[in-house]
Amino acid sequence: MSTNAAPALPSTRDENWRYAPLRGIERLQWTPPDALTAEAIESARAVLGDLAPATGTRWTFIDGHFAAALSNGPAPQIGTRAGTGAGTDAAADASDSGADLAFARLNRRHAGAPVTLHIPADTTLDLEVACVALSVGHPAFVIEVGRGAKLQLVERHLGAANALSNLGLQLRLAPGARVEHSRLLQPAAGARHFETLQLRLDAGAELHLVQLTTGGAATRSTALVELAGADATLRWHAAMLGAGQQAHDAYVRVTHDAPGARTEQAYRGIAADRSRLAFNGHMRVTSRARGANSDQTLRSLLAGPAAEANARPQLEIDTDDVRASHGATVGKLDADMLFYLLSRGIAPDAAESLLKWAFVSDVLAKLPDAALRARFEAAIAPLLPGAEAARSLA
Amino acid sequence: MLEIKDLHASVGGRKVLDGINLSVPAGEVHAIMGPNGSGKSTLSYVLAGRPGYEVTGGSVQFRGVDLLALAPEERAQAGVFLGFQYPVEIPGVNNVYLLKAALNAARKHRGLPEVDAFEFLQLVRAKMKLMQMDEAFLSRGVNEGFSGGEKKRNEILQMLVLEPALALLDETDSGLDIDALKVVANGVNTLRAPDRSIVLVTHYQRLLDHIRPDRVHVLARGRILRSGGPELALELEARGYDWLLAEAAA
Repeated sequence: MSTNAAPALPSTRDENWRYAPLRGIERLQWTPPDALTAEAIESARAVLGDLAPATGTRWTFIDGHFAAALSNGPAPQIGTRAGTGAGTDAAADASDSGADLAFARLNRRHAGAPVTLHIPADTTLDLEVACVALSVGHPAFVIEVGRGAKLQLVERHLGAANALSNLGLQLRLAPGARVEHSRLLQPAAGARHFETLQLRLDAGAELHLVQLTTGGAATRSTALVELAGADATLRWHAAMLGAGQQAHDAYVRVTHDAPGARTEQAYRGIAADRSRLAFNGHMRVTSRARGANSDQTLRSLLAGPAAEANARPQLEIDTDDVRASHGATVGKLDADMLFYLLSRGIAPDAAESLLKWAFVSDVLAKLPDAALRARFEAAIAPLLPGAEAARSLA
Repeated sequence: MLEIKDLHASVGGRKVLDGINLSVPAGEVHAIMGPNGSGKSTLSYVLAGRPGYEVTGGSVQFRGVDLLALAPEERAQAGVFLGFQYPVEIPGVNNVYLLKAALNAARKHRGLPEVDAFEFLQLVRAKMKLMQMDEAFLSRGVNEGFSGGEKKRNEILQMLVLEPALALLDETDSGLDIDALKVVANGVNTLRAPDRSIVLVTHYQRLLDHIRPDRVHVLARGRILRSGGPELALELEARGYDWLLAEAAA
């Protein structure tokens, strides 16, 4: 095979891709635009709407190109992959999980040089990244958080109707680093978003990630997390809301590979109308991870007669000294709760919205501050009519 | 206020109410007593419109309106309040939001604007004080982690905020210690008014020591077997229900 050949794309026959929205991907045009036009900047400005006042650095990317006009703070460095130390591409590509990195390879092929960011030891950075997809984009980031450094990273993925985006994000936390990572995946109508996150935590590092997925036609999020250092801690809270004919699929593989590694994972999915949601939480604990702890609660709500929801916990444990708990439920709105709200005079559609709101609220409650929470809530408010007032009081 | 005529209802195909006749005039407090399984809770649920409780005959007029034709939320908006025997926990929906949404739904029905945020909090605080509830309850999920007694106080708090025309309190006294019972009874008594009716469903006389009813009805086998004044409750306390059931069977 020539090195210029297009990377093979996965299919639903591949392990971990069973519920992925892959139909028709072989016909998609993956080549991004060469450069940024003034017209694209104006379109992106409209998509972004009123920008909240930035308290830190904000970067906007349009179809993977940095848009200085829509950014503030120091501009990003466009680096090379070599020498960053964050990539484990070669090893991962060679492993049997090759299909999991198919979109990462596609990203590398089209993205050009990634944005590289190094946060020096014991410093703090507040960064917001908005990736606007207008046609086709392959945003690429390699981020290293230095020893004892703190990063608050807000990531938003949005765009124009029918756009295509394929994110590649590598994030490495040095010993004692701490990251609050808040992610909002909100592609526009008809748009598709694919992404591959490769995350590595060294000793004593902590990553708190909150991810909210809504909108678009289809999303597939692949996250491969290595808890490589002793006592590394991961908190992963994800919510997905599907409506219409949307399909949202997430695969999160966490490898506990050092003593005392800890994961807390919660997923809440609401499938309305004819939407399809899938979440696969794959927990691996190697023989090196003595005293590891993994706790998973995956819950789905079926809120449409033709909706589908799958939540799958997957445990793979190679040590005896481990605490692992997992639970997965799929249910409908609780009839007793619904009647209680009706009996207080609340209209049926508002009562249903309120219960859905409550269902995802424990994920949103993990966002690091109230202002961010309000922004994330605004993203789902249109899906939950009648529950708007609950936001300001939450 | 409330006129129930020959009401029949079934739950899951099983006949539970077998021709209830009951009239509750405005301004009165009526107690409905009866043994377990007599249909007391079913009557409350039927009046509130709970799905699964099928009315198979009869009529219910509430302030001259056909209550059974209204959806559950319309009954509440029109001024019917059900205090649940087992209030459900709703994590993630906080108490203050529920109170405000419920109050605004009732106000909208009456053509009033939404309640002012400041006035609302003043109102709720005053009622909480009366119910001896900590304000921290407001920001908690509805009934989430509440003890049995706290849940019942919360039901009465909601009732005091909503000021319904007709309150149906389904075994609000069960699970309360004597101090909590006094607080709950005091809350109910403050709501007594000439334009309001209260129906207490209870097993025990002790609640009626604190809330003096105008009328007492005995519900058994899906029918009202006897009605009387407050003295009937005392007689039931002394003699039980068996003599009434025997008389009815004779």
